[in-house]
Amino acid sequence: LNAAPRRAPRQQIRFLPTPAASGGGALELVPTMVPVLAEHPLVQGPRFRRLKIGAGHRLDVKASGVFVLGVGHGNKLLTDLYNCHLTKVYTVGGMFGKATDDFSDTGKLIEKTTFDHITREKLERILAVIQGTNHKALLMYSNIDMQTQEAYELAVKGLIRPMDKSPPIITAIRCLQFALPEFQLEIHCLHETQQYLRKTVHEIGLELKSSAVCTQVRRTRDGVFTLDDALPRTQWDLQSIRDAIRNCRLKVETEIEKTLG
Amino acid sequence: AMAGAGRALRTARPLHRRGLGGAAGPPSTRQLREAEEAAPVFQYAGKAAKRKDRVFVWGFSYSGALGIPSFVKPDAGWKKPRRIQSTPYRLETEEKISSAACGYGFTLLASNTTDVTKVWGTGLNKDSQLGFQRSRRDKTKGYEYVLEPSPIPLPLEKPQQTQVLQVSCGRAHSLVLTDSEGVFTMGNNSYGQCGRKVIEDEIYSESHLIHQLKEFDSRVVQVVCGQDHSLFRTKKGSVYACGWGADGQTGLGHYNITSVPTKLHGDIAGVNVIQVSSYGDCCLAVSDEGDVFGWGNSEYLQLASVTETTQVNVPRHLPFKIGKIKEAACGGTGNAVLTEEGNIFVWGYGILGKGPNLIETAVPEMIPPSLFGWSDFNSDICVAHIRCGLSQFAALTNKGELFVWGKNLRGCLGTGRMEDQYFPWRVTVPGEVVDVACGVDHMVSLVKSF
Repeated sequence: LNAAPRRAPRQQIRFLPTPAASGGGALELVPTMVPVLAEHPLVQGPRFRRLKIGAGHRLDVKASGVFVLGVGHGNKLLTDLYNCHLTKVYTVGGMFGKATDDFSDTGKLIEKTTFDHITREKLERILAVIQGTNHKALLMYSNIDMQTQEAYELAVKGLIRPMDKSPPIITAIRCLQFALPEFQLEIHCLHETQQYLRKTVHEIGLELKSSAVCTQVRRTRDGVFTLDDALPRTQWDLQSIRDAIRNCRLKVETEIEKTLG
Repeated sequence: AMAGAGRALRTARPLHRRGLGGAAGPPSTRQLREAEEAAPVFQYAGKAAKRKDRVFVWGFSYSGALGIPSFVKPDAGWKKPRRIQSTPYRLETEEKISSAACGYGFTLLASNTTDVTKVWGTGLNKDSQLGFQRSRRDKTKGYEYVLEPSPIPLPLEKPQQTQVLQVSCGRAHSLVLTDSEGVFTMGNNSYGQCGRKVIEDEIYSESHLIHQLKEFDSRVVQVVCGQDHSLFRTKKGSVYACGWGADGQTGLGHYNITSVPTKLHGDIAGVNVIQVSSYGDCCLAVSDEGDVFGWGNSEYLQLASVTETTQVNVPRHLPFKIGKIKEAACGGTGNAVLTEEGNIFVWGYGILGKGPNLIETAVPEMIPPSLFGWSDFNSDICVAHIRCGLSQFAALTNKGELFVWGKNLRGCLGTGRMEDQYFPWRVTVPGEVVDVACGVDHMVSLVKSF
């Protein structure tokens, strides 16, 4: 980054004593444009000694997926994005038959149960209940007066969501794959932690009269940033980062303006 | 040689073992796997694990309509009576309840068993709408308030063969529909709503009289109670009515009371009616072709699409262009219909479900399906049934969720809050809701557990 060409130094007009063109030895003051010495590369040194990098929504050690970082000025945009309270999408993989102490498959085994009675239909019924109770929580924590016409209109469009602190809320959940004992869910949520998602998988197992552990948590979307915008490990270099920032800039600005006004 | 032998001796001596077992480090992967496989497997769901049928009630409890005596008379001295149950509460029943109906302060629960006891009633009994409930303290008198679901003795000819199909409750009378012995009516008959001749100065409380109605053109398949009138729908698709007619709700062309069930004509003559609905003084009927007919009270613009008069005493066809109609529900001041696509249309007066700004409309307006959970994510959610209380509406989706809206009179909506609900709101019930019955200030739901 420091090797990139920098801004040309400022020019200033100074009156410098130079020998007169006519000759004679007398010194005259002639206005000339000279670069400001204070901005000379050798005086200033490398332009970037440290970079301020801020992190967006947290991602566990055991989870993977989209992780948003802000560089420099982007840190201020990070706080704005946080206040927008946009949903995040996760792909959660689970397995029936086991229960562990930290709800994931690497934890200490607590119990094993049968799971042959579980069908996709039963799972979808439980998911419908989870969605229903979370939908109610969504409307309740959004702190809108339910008796107003405005609340009705927002509810119709589906735009009601809590705009400040609230417990984790799942806005949508559906089953992508179901092959006993494994299954995969897509979860859209707000204000959550990955451990809460693992706990939800465990609770789904309990509700189906069995037990389940979470094998995989992968964030596929964080607000406006999707997997397509994310850079895989092979692309963690300056050029790709600069391109990615440039591509996302417009999206971030429109979203912030739309939500925060 | 001596030195070499000595060295061999030193190394040949075995190391002193302490006998404390193996290494104390973290278990290796293989040990973990072996421990896992050796762990016992628990079975929580038995082979015959069936989904159980349950009944949930909520609303105003002092009338005894919820059927839970500890709400009215607590069983421990320090407990306080619960006036309003604002969220669903489980009502334990001995038999599986197949049909429930809520009246004005009382409830009827019916089961399609072949046992002798088929119908239970709870709540107000001042007009013997729950039959004669003999008081345990004084054997000659009856109870005025029944706090627990108590069996209603029906004068059946073949009690162990006849099955009760459906029950319905009005303001002070109730109807019980059986499969082979016609309709039994009990309760107040001051307007002939029980289908028998009005006796002047009849005392209805503590009465043993249960009337049986059998003379219809074919078997009766649905009974509906309005506030003070009764409607009977037969298999052939015709509708009979009796009772109070001052608003034209009997649909017989006059405004007098009728004490014998009489067939309706007007626009439904010759039409095969597949569903009838009424709760207040207005009535709606749905034909097999998806048309809706209405008669009765129209003070709240329920029938204003066809007439300016406030009472309609002959069934009139309501020309709505909203698609084929599957089910209709008629409340006190507002009406709702369900179309084939699964959309709900509301009209009338009161809290109709489209926000506080829509108070009255004569033309049906659709409630957006996104309020019932429909979205691009879940596009197969649609409404399966619609029911009406006096000023509330209840909708059941095909996923088994219950949505309510309307006036929250004494906590009858079951949302847990006491405010009126201006748009459809989910009621959290632990199970899949199969049917719901709405009353004036309480509701009963039949639920299948997960």
